[in-house]
Amino acid sequence: MQKLDKQFIKKIRRQDRIATRAITFGGLLVIASVIAILVLIVRVTLPLFQPANAEISHSFPTGAEHTPVLAVGMDDTQEVAFTLDDTGLFSFYDLASGKTFFTAPASARQARVQSVESNKNNVFALLREDNSVTVARVDFRLLYDESGQRTVQPQITPMGEYPSRSYPAPVKSIAVRAQDGRLTQVALLADNRFQIDQEVVTTDLFDNEKKESSSFLIAEELPGRITAFTLDEKGAALFAGTDTGSLLRWDLTENAAADRTDNVVAVPGNKAVTALAMVFGDISVAVGDAEGGLATWSQIWTGEGKDRTRRLRKTHTLTNHQARVERIIPSRRSKSLVTLAADGTTHLDHMTSENHLLDLAAPLSMVGISGQGNGLIGLGANNTLTVWKINAPHPEISLKTLFGKVWYESYDKPEYVWQSSSGSDDFEPKFSLIPLLFGTLKGTLYAMIFAVPLAIFGAVYTSQFSTATFKKTIKPVVEIMASIPSVVIGFLIALWLAPIVEKAILAVILSVIFLPLIFVGIMTALRPFHKTPTLQNFCNGHEFLLLVPVILAATSLAMGIAPTVEQLFFAGNFKQWLYNDLGLRYDQRNCIIIAFGLGIAVIPIIFSITEDAISNIPPSLTAASLALGASRWQTIWRVVLPSASPGIFAAIMIGFGRAVGETMIVLMATGNTPILDWSIFNGMRTLSANIAVEIPEAPMGGTLYRVLFLCASMLFALTFLVNTGAELVRERLRKKYGRY
Amino acid sequence: MSKKFWRQGEPFVWATGLALSLILFLTLLLFYVVTTNGLAVFWPKKVVLATLQDGRSLLGEIVQEEIIPHTDTRRLQFKIGNRDLYGLDFKWVDASEITSLTYPKDVHVLERQEYGNFYGYLSELEVKGIAPPVSGPNSLARTIAALEERKVEVHLLGKKIANLNRRVELLDHHLAKASYNNEDNTPAIAALKGEKNGLKTEFEALVSILGEKSAALATNQAIFSDANGQPKAIALVNIVRTYQPNNMSFFAKCGYYLERLRELFFDEPRESNTEGGLFPAIFGTVMLIFLMSILSFPLGVLAGIYLREYAKDGWLVKMVRIAVNNLAGIPSIVYGIFGLGFFVYGIGGSIDHFFFPERLPAPTFGTGGILWTSLTLGLLTVPVVIVATEEALGSIPPGIREGSQALAATKLQTLTKILLPMASPGILTGFILAMARAAGEVAPLMITGVVKLAPALPLDGVFPYLHLDRKFMHLGFHIYDIGFQSPNVEAAKPMVYVTTLLLILIVLAMTSTAIYLRNKMRQRHSVVDV
Repeated sequence: MQKLDKQFIKKIRRQDRIATRAITFGGLLVIASVIAILVLIVRVTLPLFQPANAEISHSFPTGAEHTPVLAVGMDDTQEVAFTLDDTGLFSFYDLASGKTFFTAPASARQARVQSVESNKNNVFALLREDNSVTVARVDFRLLYDESGQRTVQPQITPMGEYPSRSYPAPVKSIAVRAQDGRLTQVALLADNRFQIDQEVVTTDLFDNEKKESSSFLIAEELPGRITAFTLDEKGAALFAGTDTGSLLRWDLTENAAADRTDNVVAVPGNKAVTALAMVFGDISVAVGDAEGGLATWSQIWTGEGKDRTRRLRKTHTLTNHQARVERIIPSRRSKSLVTLAADGTTHLDHMTSENHLLDLAAPLSMVGISGQGNGLIGLGANNTLTVWKINAPHPEISLKTLFGKVWYESYDKPEYVWQSSSGSDDFEPKFSLIPLLFGTLKGTLYAMIFAVPLAIFGAVYTSQFSTATFKKTIKPVVEIMASIPSVVIGFLIALWLAPIVEKAILAVILSVIFLPLIFVGIMTALRPFHKTPTLQNFCNGHEFLLLVPVILAATSLAMGIAPTVEQLFFAGNFKQWLYNDLGLRYDQRNCIIIAFGLGIAVIPIIFSITEDAISNIPPSLTAASLALGASRWQTIWRVVLPSASPGIFAAIMIGFGRAVGETMIVLMATGNTPILDWSIFNGMRTLSANIAVEIPEAPMGGTLYRVLFLCASMLFALTFLVNTGAELVRERLRKKYGRY
Repeated sequence: MSKKFWRQGEPFVWATGLALSLILFLTLLLFYVVTTNGLAVFWPKKVVLATLQDGRSLLGEIVQEEIIPHTDTRRLQFKIGNRDLYGLDFKWVDASEITSLTYPKDVHVLERQEYGNFYGYLSELEVKGIAPPVSGPNSLARTIAALEERKVEVHLLGKKIANLNRRVELLDHHLAKASYNNEDNTPAIAALKGEKNGLKTEFEALVSILGEKSAALATNQAIFSDANGQPKAIALVNIVRTYQPNNMSFFAKCGYYLERLRELFFDEPRESNTEGGLFPAIFGTVMLIFLMSILSFPLGVLAGIYLREYAKDGWLVKMVRIAVNNLAGIPSIVYGIFGLGFFVYGIGGSIDHFFFPERLPAPTFGTGGILWTSLTLGLLTVPVVIVATEEALGSIPPGIREGSQALAATKLQTLTKILLPMASPGILTGFILAMARAAGEVAPLMITGVVKLAPALPLDGVFPYLHLDRKFMHLGFHIYDIGFQSPNVEAAKPMVYVTTLLLILIVLAMTSTAIYLRNKMRQRHSVVDV
């Protein structure tokens, strides 16, 4: 025998040590990285729930010659701020240096300005002390020089001049220019009437401009003194609030006429409405009151039939201020609102989510917002201009918008809605996960109703009653079935099965009824002969083959009888009958199809695990039961199934987990409409399909992107919990009955 | 006695049998539908001439026949082709309107580069440059064959141009990189610019030659007439294949079938994927599985060995084992979205940032590609491999380990010389199952790099040969795409069935091999146990 070489032993020992370390390290690394998936997915979703924050980016005093300041504002790039003083002069400041670099008057008029109102698009209506009104717009142009350096060039565009008139002196004026060129200017007169000036510029065939202007008064009886008013972007609706808390709305779409559509009490307790502003999108109006209350109102359809009209109703209540709300400034990008109270505090709120995003404690007397909504500018004590950078990336998300009922604009009542995008910019994204969770559970439930009995019964038969040869072939067949790609099942059920079922829906329903009936019939017929030895020998282990004709008979009978049944009971058209008599709409891609498709995907899994569980029951148990005179079914029902029940439970759980996460089948065959409806005749949208549908259109880091990651984390959590539960149960079972 | 029959539960036994037969019935039905539809697609169908009551007639293949719901009338669906003439490929006709159905011998079916099939009669050939002009039977097919050489020439020219284009693109990237690094004025850059200009001139010259040649080729045309005698001129270059189904013998049909199969496996798709071959999709699928295997198998085996042989049994290992078991059950879309967030945007974005800053904002690796897809799939299949490795090692009786170690073998030696060879069939089974799962998975691919039509394969003759950043095509996604996102689903259906059949065959072949291997292994180990 060869002597052991010390060098050699050293070498293999060294190799062994290295291998141990490498394998341990590698193994731990793989496991850690696999577990890191969850952490990473959850990390992407976390910013959704992060609170907003604001930090001061610039702060500098305004020039003493440009005071008192009547309005402040800033550009989209957050490089330039401006103020408007009482001489009607706009002063532009370079934020980096805090110096004035450009000034321009709103118009050539000299009279002092007594009040200024502005809308979201930087259109300013200046009411002067001589009762004339100047309307001007502030624009910013971005200029690039040769080296690509960007400069912001401010510009004042005059939009209209209204000389003083013989009416009582106006106290406030506001103006908007609609996209079709219509200019509407509304002035509140000292005697509580509105003076409205409209100007429409039209171009005829020969390119001749025609200016039509009209001017009229709203002189109706009002429930109180007007304390605030606002116009929408188109100049089509005028909202006004009174000192008694009433909110009024006039329709200005008709030329030279105002039609009052609403008169509601917006603030109870005879308290004044102190600030009004249209929320971005022009559907809701934000109302601030003397007590610091803040709410949004919009026109809602109410009533039935002929009485169905639109009435103003309160849709959202936002966080209170401690003092009178002075000013509401809506964002130009989202449904966010900046509000300034009399005590100088500033709030940033989001309408849809009712999230209170920010509190700026610094006492301010004037605020403005940048076009992107990510910058705030405020005028503080000693005429100091302060600019805040706001970081509120997902203001529309809160637990309530994700899981609760939310009153979206243009909806009759609070609802669960998923609608992530639309054609217009001012769209209110609707991110309720409830319809998706509902769809997931609905599809899974119907699939389980179809799959569980079939799979468990089939497994019981295979493991207990079939012959050994059949068992050997059936098991691999079912395993092969498990490997059918889901895209194949999805394609077949959506493009092949769905049209067939749509044509023969009644036959499908009838065959589900006929199959058990025919089966029971045959069993009754078989009863007298079941003891016959030849029959028994022939049947044992082959029952399932003998039953194939039963299936065929049931289906063909149902197909044959369906047209007659349809004529007799459903007036010749079952789908029409469903719709008229039961109010159920039949979609081609519905839950029957899904139950079938998901069922086929899930049956093999449940079947295999159940079969394993039953086969692992020690034969001594079965033998004892049979020896005591129990029939083969009694043995199964009383002995085998109870012992295997944890395993069967685990099988159902694992099947459930697979059905919940299945993507391609539901993507192809559900129609993907996120509706809340239990009807088996229509589709749904599941969490998994939702991810597949929406992720290509979700920009990275955006709200939709993160919400989709939230969907994924929920799916992960759901399946992980279910599977772990099942795994623990199986572990116990294995311990109890041994492994093989 | 009768009560006993029910009480003893004999009917319930039959009921369980019913459940099993339902399962098998449904499975067989699915396979039957896929197989019959898929296999029949390439068999040339007879073209029928239907004369209608209003005196008009139509030529086409009968697709299906049905009774209109809620009536007694029968109707037939024809595939009439000629999309450029009629606008629609398919037409329903009530059986009562049809006066006669005949099968004219001389009807031609043309498969074209665009507008789908054409059904009609040949009236005239206008051929230039082939002397002498062919005539007699089969003149059309022979003329097309005669043009083949020139077609190949044009095709090669096109390839050359594409190659030039790619070289220019590469130069552009170099230039962009140089300008990003502020090295605009070095001699190397000047050389590059000169090379680029040279290529451009060459490119333009080739393009004009190509234009002339293809224009000359396009003048060769044939005049056909449709069922109603309406003439239609079709350039011969646009004809992919022509045959006369009513005049074909059985063997001719078999030949045609084989030719279509060849096209399926080796040619590019046409007509927004509803016609032509599947080569890029098959190639993409195979390459994806290959890359996925390289990534997932070693890691999975490593983790499996660690868990079974090295880790000390404790609650931690138990938890990890349960977690790994379970990860196999996590929905694939979750892996997909993870791949998108972590691989594509995370790692890919960083790679772009550090290595390709000159191309930004156009992403190089920061967008879906075959590398990210295979990483994602690798992650998805790692649990399968881990579980298989563990089970395979676990089923080796401990006596063998003890015996080996008693003979003074180290742990590593035991592992590599004894355990792994014994476990290899089991591990192999795991590999095959993982590959089958990867082949059939679509949802995670859709969001990490698969596309409906990839301009170039991820592996080609252009440096650096393996383009891991490229997007690719995949059989499973092909099914989803042409079945659900194609503008003409009815016309796409045959192709979907063929693709489905192919995918099922691939997956079934893999799974059956795995099952066979596993059964073999079980037999072997049961011998060891004794």
